[in-house]
Amino acid sequence: MNEPLTVHVKAGEKKRKRTGLSKYLYLLPAALLIVGVIGYPIVRALILSLYAYNPLNSGKTFVGLKNYVGVLSDSTFLKAMSNTAIWVVGCVFFQVVFGLLGAVLLNQNFRGRGVIRGLTLIPWATPSVLAAMMWMWILDGNYGLLNDILMRIGLIVHPIPWISQTGTAMASLMLIDVWQGIPYFAVMLLAAMQTIPGDLLEAAKLDGAGAWKAFWKVVFPLMLPTLMITTILRIVWTASYMDLMMVVTQGGPAYSTLTIPLASYYRAYTDLKYGEATAMAGIQALLLLIVVVLYLRLMSNKGALDNGK
Amino acid sequence: MQAKTIAKRFIGKSKTLLSLLTVASLLAACSTATEEGSSAGPSENAKKTVVNYWYWLDDASNNTMEQLIQKFNESHADIEVVGRMIPFSDYQQMLINSVSTNDPPDVARFKDWWIGQFAESHLLEKLDDYASKWEYKNDIDDVFWNTGRTADPNSPIYMMPHQFITFYLYYRKDLFEQANLKPPTTFDEFLHAAKTLTDPSKQQYGFAYRGGSGGQDQWYAFMLAGGARMVDENGSVVINNAKAVEVNQWYIDLFKKHKVTPPTAVSDGFAQLTAGFQAGTTAMMAHHVGSYETLHKALGDKLGVVPMPQADPSHPATMGTMTGNVMFQSSKNKEAAWEFLSWLSSPEATDMLSQSTNGQLPVLNTLTSKPEYTSKNDGWKISIESLKFAHVWPPFKGVGTIAGHTWKDNNDLALFGKITSKEMLDQIAKTLLE
Amino acid sequence: MANKRVPLNRVVLWLLLTGWLIFALGPYIWMLLTSFKTSSDLFAMPVRYLPTKWSLDAYRDLIGSTPFLRFMKNSMIVAACTTVLTLLLAVPAGFTLSRHHYRGKPVILSLLISSQFFPTILLVLALFPIMKSTGLIQNLFGLVIVYTAFVTPFTIWLIKGFFDNIPKEVDEAAKIDGCNEIRMIWHVLLPVIVPGIVAAAAYIVIYSWNEFLFAVTFASSAETHTVPVGLKTFIGDYVMRWDLLTGGGVTAAVPILVFFMIIQRRLISGLTSGAVKS
Repeated sequence: MNEPLTVHVKAGEKKRKRTGLSKYLYLLPAALLIVGVIGYPIVRALILSLYAYNPLNSGKTFVGLKNYVGVLSDSTFLKAMSNTAIWVVGCVFFQVVFGLLGAVLLNQNFRGRGVIRGLTLIPWATPSVLAAMMWMWILDGNYGLLNDILMRIGLIVHPIPWISQTGTAMASLMLIDVWQGIPYFAVMLLAAMQTIPGDLLEAAKLDGAGAWKAFWKVVFPLMLPTLMITTILRIVWTASYMDLMMVVTQGGPAYSTLTIPLASYYRAYTDLKYGEATAMAGIQALLLLIVVVLYLRLMSNKGALDNGK
Repeated sequence: MQAKTIAKRFIGKSKTLLSLLTVASLLAACSTATEEGSSAGPSENAKKTVVNYWYWLDDASNNTMEQLIQKFNESHADIEVVGRMIPFSDYQQMLINSVSTNDPPDVARFKDWWIGQFAESHLLEKLDDYASKWEYKNDIDDVFWNTGRTADPNSPIYMMPHQFITFYLYYRKDLFEQANLKPPTTFDEFLHAAKTLTDPSKQQYGFAYRGGSGGQDQWYAFMLAGGARMVDENGSVVINNAKAVEVNQWYIDLFKKHKVTPPTAVSDGFAQLTAGFQAGTTAMMAHHVGSYETLHKALGDKLGVVPMPQADPSHPATMGTMTGNVMFQSSKNKEAAWEFLSWLSSPEATDMLSQSTNGQLPVLNTLTSKPEYTSKNDGWKISIESLKFAHVWPPFKGVGTIAGHTWKDNNDLALFGKITSKEMLDQIAKTLLE
Repeated sequence: MANKRVPLNRVVLWLLLTGWLIFALGPYIWMLLTSFKTSSDLFAMPVRYLPTKWSLDAYRDLIGSTPFLRFMKNSMIVAACTTVLTLLLAVPAGFTLSRHHYRGKPVILSLLISSQFFPTILLVLALFPIMKSTGLIQNLFGLVIVYTAFVTPFTIWLIKGFFDNIPKEVDEAAKIDGCNEIRMIWHVLLPVIVPGIVAAAAYIVIYSWNEFLFAVTFASSAETHTVPVGLKTFIGDYVMRWDLLTGGGVTAAVPILVFFMIIQRRLISGLTSGAVKS
């Protein structure tokens, strides 16, 4: 253990050029499948956003950008946009914080570690409808468990109708999503910790750094690429995730939990205005694109995007 | 060469991984193969005419519908009905997808709410000619046949009547006895009872207001009982006239002014409603026979049923909904489809379904007059009595949208005082005609 | 290995773990208790935590009168197949994006992410004809294909990231040893990123296990229902089967728990540190 390895290796650079076209073969099967199953439907949907289209009628009329203009001048949709932003930021922030803490905890040595690791991950594997129904029961404002416990402890006198008031409905949904999402970050970050070469830490220790310092200075930066990609994808998924709203609040009370995907679902399947619905989804995709591009720029600045650069 | 040794070391360890992966892929390959084998079922009977039937179930553990399909297939050598059960919450969306991709079923279970939307796009087969030759045609009253028509006065019949529900009022006998109250028959008595039975400090509320998903049915039942109508005799929409605004205000005030409903009313759906009623946090709840078994099982003798209280008991009204079956126009096997469709509404099949936990009121007079229905229990008795004055949703295209979210969106706003009763009804009237 | 852990005060550790377990398992404990209750106990006021009479009726109904075990079998098949297929596609792709030079690599990588931008519910309509014309409807294989397409982008990113963490000297050494590239990936690099593969597998399995919309759209016959679709059938229009829903939720968690306990060992792998130290 005299020469610690580092990730900043330049030796491989020259040989990389040599591989030529064969490198595309590695990528091709995955690319074909993604383009066929996801890419094509997205393009189709975006094209439909330029039409007035009732899915029950076969005809459609080209209307240009009218759907976009109409949707953007609808105050309910603007409300949905700001709700979506709050929803995404709130959910992902708490998941990252607690997920990171969770990964550190699960990495410790303790009795019954295998079982506890398995148990803490269970919320992640809970189908949305089940999670929604159980939490709805727990959070209920009349016979709910949470209120019962809080009242028994004496923290509150009257039960709080968590999902029935505009001030707490969104937070309640976030609670459910955070519950489901913490294990995702914990697992991904736990895995990221494992692939960090141990001698890096050794090196840090030789420098006399404390354990916590070693974690933040050496382990954390190496986890950063994984943290960033898991986070950006979680942002994208959370923006589109509407199962909880559909079961628990249907976007209410008074639009306080209406997000873009839910609004576009209603527009498509109950109002039968499919073109407007896809326009809403198109706007959401554009906003996400902006977020992702900014994020990727940040990542490449930190060297997380490409190995050794 | 330190790294070289690393490389060598890994070559040994990777064998475990290799074998693991092999086992996994073998397993996977096997299982897909079995699945493909079993899905080849229907094609064995290539000579039979296949009728695809879509349905949802209220009680998934009850297999009466499967039995019915099996029974039909056994008694019809040349037809093979292939049933597909879809969860109710996704049912309408699945139908829309199937239509827009030109792959609808031949026959489908259907709610009267959707007829406007689907008939307008010429998707449903007109059933008049078939029905006129059907042996039980006259055993079903015209009011029920009319639930299968659109708002157009010359509309043909698009849906076979099958299972009906009418709204009535459940009350907790135990709570009413404690408070020395009689079950209400008028709006005033209802409000009085609700006020008496409300005590927020004990988490006790008079009425289980359904402001969450599906609340429009309960709301419509109260609107009708209050004397408001969706459309008048001439077919024009009157749901936002002065009378309707008044009744709607009365209904909103149950939450807003009198506070005789749980504070959660705005988001309470069916699950919360039945739960609260079982828990005794609410003393009255409007629903129909669909929930009778569940509530009776949980509450036993404490469960009471009375007809919907009325603003004017001399002109009673309540809400009803028909769940029927439709044939899609695109069906290539219409004769076979009709055979199944009409068989489902026959006394034999209707009886089987109505007696099961997935069943509601039969619409055949030969059945509804039978004592096993009229005196089955209070719920059935009152439902059948209410048939005479039950109104269904008017068959406009916008009903699907109202049921989907318009009612809920605007009711939320009205309950929170952000819009007036009139503004809420204007929205509903507008959507109805859209 | 040990030095990689940040030592924590034992008391703090157990406090945090206990808090986490209560939060994570609370709904499941409630589900378990509820599944043993009879209907009169379900919504008693004040809240009744333990059943007054323990009943196994929910499980008897679940197994006796609903095809729930078949739902579980279907879900397991789909999850297993999707995992294998996705890894076969994503490992090579992740490798090449980590090790080879691509012009416009950031574009490729962001295109992968952008595949997840659209609410899936609005893709169903366009996907349906493709699935139908390729015969992928009403069977589990179609679901596997769709799921694989949706989980592959993230899996590629994840695996690329793990390859990135392996020092290039390892590649060089393997090449000097005479490995070609495929052999090198298989024998040298893959074993190092086992934790990454396991994490990816967990993600894939869980996605397939929880996914509802495609399942109800493309494989919705009683033969091919998966667990989420099956659970949703317990919520009827007029009947709410809490007993089946809670019993089903608990039952469905068992194979997942076993799966987690098996893989968690692999998630923490001593390979890297141990080997590099030599």
